[in-house]
Amino acid sequence: MSTAPQSSTSPPAADPFFEPWQSFARKIAAMPKVLEIMQRVRVGATPAHIVARDDHVRLLQYESDGPPAGGAASGRTPLLFVFALVNRPYILDLRPEKSVVRHFLARGFNTYNMDWGVPTQGDRHLGLRDYVLRYLDNAVDHVRDAEGVDRVNLLGYCMGGTMTAIYAALRPEKVRNLILLTAPIDWSARDNLLSIWTDERVFNVDRMIEVWGNAPPQWLQASFLLLKPVQNLLEKYVNLWENMDNEKYLEDFFAMETWLNDNIPVAGEVFREFVKYLYQENRLVRGELRVGPHRVDLRQVTCPVLNLIAENDHLVPPNQSQSFCDRVGSVDRRTITFPAGHIGMAVGSKAHRDLWPTVVDWLVERSGGR
Amino acid sequence: MSDAANPFAAFDPFMRFWTEFAGRCAAAGAPPPSPPADLLSQMRRAFFDALAQQADQFLRGEAFLAVMKQTMESSLAWQQTLNQFLQKGLSASQIPSRADADHVVVLLRGLEERLHERLDDLARRIERVESVSGLTQPAR
Repeated sequence: MSTAPQSSTSPPAADPFFEPWQSFARKIAAMPKVLEIMQRVRVGATPAHIVARDDHVRLLQYESDGPPAGGAASGRTPLLFVFALVNRPYILDLRPEKSVVRHFLARGFNTYNMDWGVPTQGDRHLGLRDYVLRYLDNAVDHVRDAEGVDRVNLLGYCMGGTMTAIYAALRPEKVRNLILLTAPIDWSARDNLLSIWTDERVFNVDRMIEVWGNAPPQWLQASFLLLKPVQNLLEKYVNLWENMDNEKYLEDFFAMETWLNDNIPVAGEVFREFVKYLYQENRLVRGELRVGPHRVDLRQVTCPVLNLIAENDHLVPPNQSQSFCDRVGSVDRRTITFPAGHIGMAVGSKAHRDLWPTVVDWLVERSGGR
Repeated sequence: MSDAANPFAAFDPFMRFWTEFAGRCAAAGAPPPSPPADLLSQMRRAFFDALAQQADQFLRGEAFLAVMKQTMESSLAWQQTLNQFLQKGLSASQIPSRADADHVVVLLRGLEERLHERLDDLARRIERVESVSGLTQPAR
């Protein structure tokens, strides 16, 4: 009878009794490593430098680290990212393998990003007029001058998408292509939690801004956490515990947590306008929104439009974005609904594999000849 | 049956949650004759899904909205009282308060707005003059 030690060639079977304890011990032993990763994780993968300042707003230009694929960089219309006023814009460039910015740099786009900065109490009076017709318009003009072009490509994310849509309607001569990423446009359906919570019977935004000045970051953060309390306060930490010995998971987790907790206040007046005129009164699609002296008419958007919708978005449900292409004057318009969540569109592996190459192709086709 | 007649009405959400959870477990095929390796994670998934569904319903409910509104109003009232108290103290000490700074900002913004309107008006007049005289801005 052979007594060859089989166990030396095949891994030992997991002991049903001891395995959970071994797993527990492994996780405890991984604690110092977790702390080390937590401290060393960095966000904002691509080097960028400030090319313009306007009060506390900064215009960043990303640096490409190699020759672009698919043609000379100088042949493409530059691209300007416009992020929301809530949180920081580096979510679009969180980690090297999860960077939306890098997709565009790699294909030869000179790429810029608006960093809205942190509003102080003195900025409580800044409204849509300041953000859209002053800061965004100045940034677009700067890019046009620096690149020697008439028009620029704009990509607006979330609330930044709403602002770029408004901008494209007010300054159509300066926009070559418009990409909206999970941008709320139509608030007529009032079935999602944010719409219910911001209903005027429940939420008096005038009084809030009168007393607090700006919308405080802690309050915004708590509201966002409460949108998915089980996932954000329970499930997330169970998953963290299960992946305590997975270095890649931990790096992604802490990068994401860094961004999620890097909250900034929103200037009072623009917050009030967003809640009152858009969430509560849905003025944008009704053609009643005024920015300064101008009425915003979405039919004035005539450039090619790509509308990206997240199928599982809990912040901006698809029904808030879907009708955008029907409301603009553009002939060349396309909507892509992708199976991801609000943040997953920017940082999800599937989005970086399947969605962003398609988006870049779409923009490349429409950005030749500057 | 009315709530007054049913003393356990307050427990209805919990009953619904556990019924939902048990239903999801049953739908997932648990417990099978020989449990699969990931049975625990399936059950946990079902638990979290059911809990999330109930939480969502609660967060949409009238009870939660009423509490949210009340909390917000109380918080704002307290903050306003505090602001007024601080403002009075600063005013008595002849130190500028936030309200004073806000007032200056509002004045400056009004001034800036009038200047912008004037500049826009001048730009329009220059454009008109240039178009009449045949002068145009050089193409970019």
